[in-house]
Amino acid sequence: MSPLLPVLLGVPAVGAAVLALVPLPDRAARWIGLVVTTATLVVAAVTTARFDFGATSRFTDVVDVRWLPAIGVRFHLGVDGISLPLVVLTALLTMLCAAYTIGTVPDAGRTRQLLALVLLLEVGMLGTFVALDLVLFFVFFEVVLIPMYFLIAIWGGNDRGRAATKFILFTLLGSGLMLVGFLLIYSGAGTFDVVALSRAHGAGIARSTQLFAFVLLLLGFGIKSPMWPLHTWLPDAHTEAPTIGSVLLAGVLLKMGTYGLVRIAVPDLPTAAHDVAPALGVLAVAGIIYATLVCIALATDPQADLKRLIAFSSVGHMGFVLLGIATLTATGIQGALVGNIAHGVITGLLFFLVGGLKDRYHTSTFREIGGGVLAKAPVLGGLTVFAAIASLGLPGLAGFWGEMLAMLGSYQPAQTLSRPLFVVLMAVAGVGTIFTAVYFLAMLRRVTYGLVGDAWRERPLRDVIATDLIAWVPLVVLAVAIGVWPKLVLGISSGAVHELLR
Amino acid sequence: MTHWAWLVPALPAFAAVVGLFLSRYVPGGPAVPAIVGTALSLLVAVVLLADAESNPGAVHQTTVPWTPLDGFHLSIGTRIDGLAAVTSVMVAIVALLVQIYSTAYMAGDPRYSTYAAEVSLFTAAMLLVVVASDLFELLIGWEVMGLCSYLLIGHYWQTEGARSAAVKAFVTTRIGDTGFLFGIFVLGVAAGSFDVGQVVGRASAMSHAAVTAGALLLLAGVVGKSAQFPLHVWLPDAMAGPTPISALIHAATMVAAGIYVVARLYPVYLAAPDARTVLGVIACLTMLGAALAALAEDDLKRVLAWSTVSQLAYMGAGLAVGAWTASIYHLLAHAGFKALLFLAAGSVLRSVGTNLMSEMGGLRQRLPVTFVTAVIGAAALAGLPPFAGAFSKDAILTAAREHGGALGTAVYAVGLVTAFVTAAYATRFIVRTFFGSYRGALDVRAQVHESPLVMTAPLVVLAAACILLGAPVVPNSYGVASWLDAPTGTVPLHLDAAGVVLSAVIVIAGSAAVVALYRRRPDEDPVTVLGHAATPLVHAFWVDDVYERLVVRPAYATARAMRLTDDSAIDAAVVASGQGTSAVGALLRRLQNGNVQAYVSGLVVVVIAIVMTVSLAVAR
Amino acid sequence: MHLSLALVVSALLFGIGVYGVLARRNAVAVLMAVELMLNAGNLDLVAFDAWWRDTMHAGQVFALFVVVIAAAEVGVGLAIVLAVFRLQDTAAIDEVTSLADRDPRVLADAAAEVDG
Repeated sequence: MSPLLPVLLGVPAVGAAVLALVPLPDRAARWIGLVVTTATLVVAAVTTARFDFGATSRFTDVVDVRWLPAIGVRFHLGVDGISLPLVVLTALLTMLCAAYTIGTVPDAGRTRQLLALVLLLEVGMLGTFVALDLVLFFVFFEVVLIPMYFLIAIWGGNDRGRAATKFILFTLLGSGLMLVGFLLIYSGAGTFDVVALSRAHGAGIARSTQLFAFVLLLLGFGIKSPMWPLHTWLPDAHTEAPTIGSVLLAGVLLKMGTYGLVRIAVPDLPTAAHDVAPALGVLAVAGIIYATLVCIALATDPQADLKRLIAFSSVGHMGFVLLGIATLTATGIQGALVGNIAHGVITGLLFFLVGGLKDRYHTSTFREIGGGVLAKAPVLGGLTVFAAIASLGLPGLAGFWGEMLAMLGSYQPAQTLSRPLFVVLMAVAGVGTIFTAVYFLAMLRRVTYGLVGDAWRERPLRDVIATDLIAWVPLVVLAVAIGVWPKLVLGISSGAVHELLR
Repeated sequence: MTHWAWLVPALPAFAAVVGLFLSRYVPGGPAVPAIVGTALSLLVAVVLLADAESNPGAVHQTTVPWTPLDGFHLSIGTRIDGLAAVTSVMVAIVALLVQIYSTAYMAGDPRYSTYAAEVSLFTAAMLLVVVASDLFELLIGWEVMGLCSYLLIGHYWQTEGARSAAVKAFVTTRIGDTGFLFGIFVLGVAAGSFDVGQVVGRASAMSHAAVTAGALLLLAGVVGKSAQFPLHVWLPDAMAGPTPISALIHAATMVAAGIYVVARLYPVYLAAPDARTVLGVIACLTMLGAALAALAEDDLKRVLAWSTVSQLAYMGAGLAVGAWTASIYHLLAHAGFKALLFLAAGSVLRSVGTNLMSEMGGLRQRLPVTFVTAVIGAAALAGLPPFAGAFSKDAILTAAREHGGALGTAVYAVGLVTAFVTAAYATRFIVRTFFGSYRGALDVRAQVHESPLVMTAPLVVLAAACILLGAPVVPNSYGVASWLDAPTGTVPLHLDAAGVVLSAVIVIAGSAAVVALYRRRPDEDPVTVLGHAATPLVHAFWVDDVYERLVVRPAYATARAMRLTDDSAIDAAVVASGQGTSAVGALLRRLQNGNVQAYVSGLVVVVIAIVMTVSLAVAR
Repeated sequence: MHLSLALVVSALLFGIGVYGVLARRNAVAVLMAVELMLNAGNLDLVAFDAWWRDTMHAGQVFALFVVVIAAAEVGVGLAIVLAVFRLQDTAAIDEVTSLADRDPRVLADAAAEVDG
């Protein structure tokens, strides 16, 4: 029984409590935020160092104590090859957000409360990835919603109230459906324990119950992923959220949905998974095409909002992740997992950069930004070009592996699935990659390239400051590193994925 | 020595990183890491070539494990055979000459350091494609080249033309690259491995469907990258970029990468004759169509761009009929004379400040070195013996005629017609630029000077290459064939004296026709003699317009429709659910009217109902 | 006397009481009807007490309870009716609707009117 994971959850929890209750001055609060998130990252690093890379399917640092014996719920935590990269990603992104806040304070101020909420959010995110009991998973899943609601509602943009309400009601609906699914699983299998359930591979759950439960879980996780057509909360939430809110929303929260599918839905309900996978694949690819087309429309409309464009691009990227899961092969699910990490890194970076642009230009509309960011702020512009190129899946950068493996998995899906259907899905997803290139390049053409707008020709524009670089450079390095050496992620998860599909 | 082969792509990559981030700290400025990196890479490549020459037929593969995939073990490394060694030397030489040339051409450009770093990165990516031992490794180099092409075409991004050309190039090649990726999937899965050696080795054992599908899908990428019909539309527009990169990327290297990949994976194509037929048909269409379009272009660089498309089609046609050695020989020759022509064009443009030939003329006295080297390059392009492009082209046509079957006969016929047109437009290029009277606005004597040594020296080197690669070619191509170990089943390089004479006659005829038109009317564009027949040529057969109408506009319309659907249908459904809930609430609110007696009435009725139900149930 | 006689009378009294509660406009009349209902219940209690010949006389004891509670309830009820009458100058029960749940927009308008 190792104390590492409770410490991992406890450090940000204590930090959140301190920041919430102790009336500290703003500057001290920001530094405490950075210290706490760095400490969490250190704990995550220690967890990685202690991880047995030879047996990645085994859970390490397990904590398994009685919690609610009356309803059969245990406090069960652990990391394996699937959750470890996500834990590290979460800790890293939160630390980078705290570092960013030291240099750039949001307009609404009150950074102490902001950081308290972010730390609470971190507890929820980390907890979701290490929880190995369904009810515990649900609790942490819900813990995430309230801080994010306040993050959007208080520190957000002009239409923040509506966006926050939509976000929380929609995802709460998903959580409710998910809970019913969990209860159905319990009623059939007799346990809430994730490890036992994935080993049982659906034994004891009648086929119709499995199907019903899987559909409910799919809806619940699909709202979070987001899966077309349950995605409409995402663009508004992302557009109105503050910079670090968008980064965490895109970088981590979206991963919780697909992680849930991989960790819970697919291994615990395999018969249902095989029945529903074609539908999931179709919806995933529909999401890719739909989202990329909407992005093209946004990128060519001067009145459109840049953050909305990036938000919709997330829908497209997660479509690839969902396609990878739908193939029910090790290749496809590996692709989904590496795509998760890559999307977290790259879109996190994109939202940071767009947030930086919004801070400097005080707007994120194409028309009002004008163009020529490379001329006015070369480093910021150069990083935006890099992030856009990475996001469109250029081989050599992280995003490629997720898309490629999802399509390769689709070329050879699981035996029980219809291969012609999945090859067609692969081809359509390929068309989606072409559209992705179109809109990202159109976006660059409008924003970083081109002539500087009249309003900004004479006014100076602040380029990057030290805290910006501290927050962004690690993501750039990761994007290149994972792109060139995907074994960093694929090596960790492969054993666990095989175990899952057995 | 071959286990140092990884240095060949690594050195320019390192130079790119240094140039991008640390150029401030390097004494001598950003040119130094670029030139030094490329030069060192060239050194290693030459050593590899010497090694290949001493062991003909040997293939050295050095790999390290890369990443585990389910059922596959990807490894990354280098695969050096004669083809890779020769091509890497060619790429390194042209890249080095272009970098040297750019120090003068791009002098005064505020973003020169970024430019030099991007060119270094491009060189690294191309060299990665050349030496790659794994198909995904090759794909990384392939796409990074596309990225650098996008960045460099868009170098003058303050101009609309450069911005749109860059996007067009990237998107068009991306369309091809999607097919390329799927081709890798098909071949890799069929071979059980993504290693180039394994794929090539097992090509004959693959099912006919798999190998043909794989070959055709790879062709999609080749057609995109090598600018063949129907994905050729990006190359002429790409001339909006600086001329040195037109020489490097869009003449000698990136566009040749497609041909290179077909040659590298040739056993796959030997096993898929249907794919070769498709390649041959595409090549024939492109060969002639592009040459005709070059004939009608006024922009100097666009003439050369169309010419590149046409010449690449020659190589494609050669590969289609099995003339492997001849095609590679033509690739090398083309790299030489096309880079030369582009750099010479750059020299002219820099001096007269315009791209349009209608504003040039009579420049041969003011730009002597440029003139002589350009003439040599044009002669090589036209295919005049004994210059470089002549024998390679003849070898392709000979192989087509003798071994190609029906397709070969078509290639031969189209090839001869294209040779005529090629000679015509090459001569037109020389005549309109250097002969006649000056038609521009500058004061020729005062403002038009020969370019500095740093620019003319590469021209001379390339001109020498055009001569050397051509002259001592018969009968066994000066060792070029011996360096390249052709796969079994391909047609060896050989020439037929009658064929050589025939094509020489055609070339001279084409050239003479233009010269005669020039003599008759010195300052008029020779293509105007075609009258109305020139219109489809000027519009490049309206391919761009067709795409605009059939692909681009519907795509944008669909995109706008999707966005509208999102706002008014899907999101509206979500919002409507919220509004619906509120409406139901409003309806229920009506029951709460504040009248106590109404409340009590409801109470009484429900209590009676409950009592009756319970008593009836109990009674039963 | 048979039990059924007392039960029928009590049922009739209860019915009249229900009618009075639901249909009378005057608040005091409603309270009187409530008294009727309570007394009907009392009648039932006493009748059953006599029928079962209960030695503990539980029915009669409960009837006394009901009488006391009825008296207390009428006191409170009349106090409320008096307060409402003083405020709104009417004893009609269907005009006292200020606890209704109205559309928030209507309420806001009404509040604005009061302020303005």
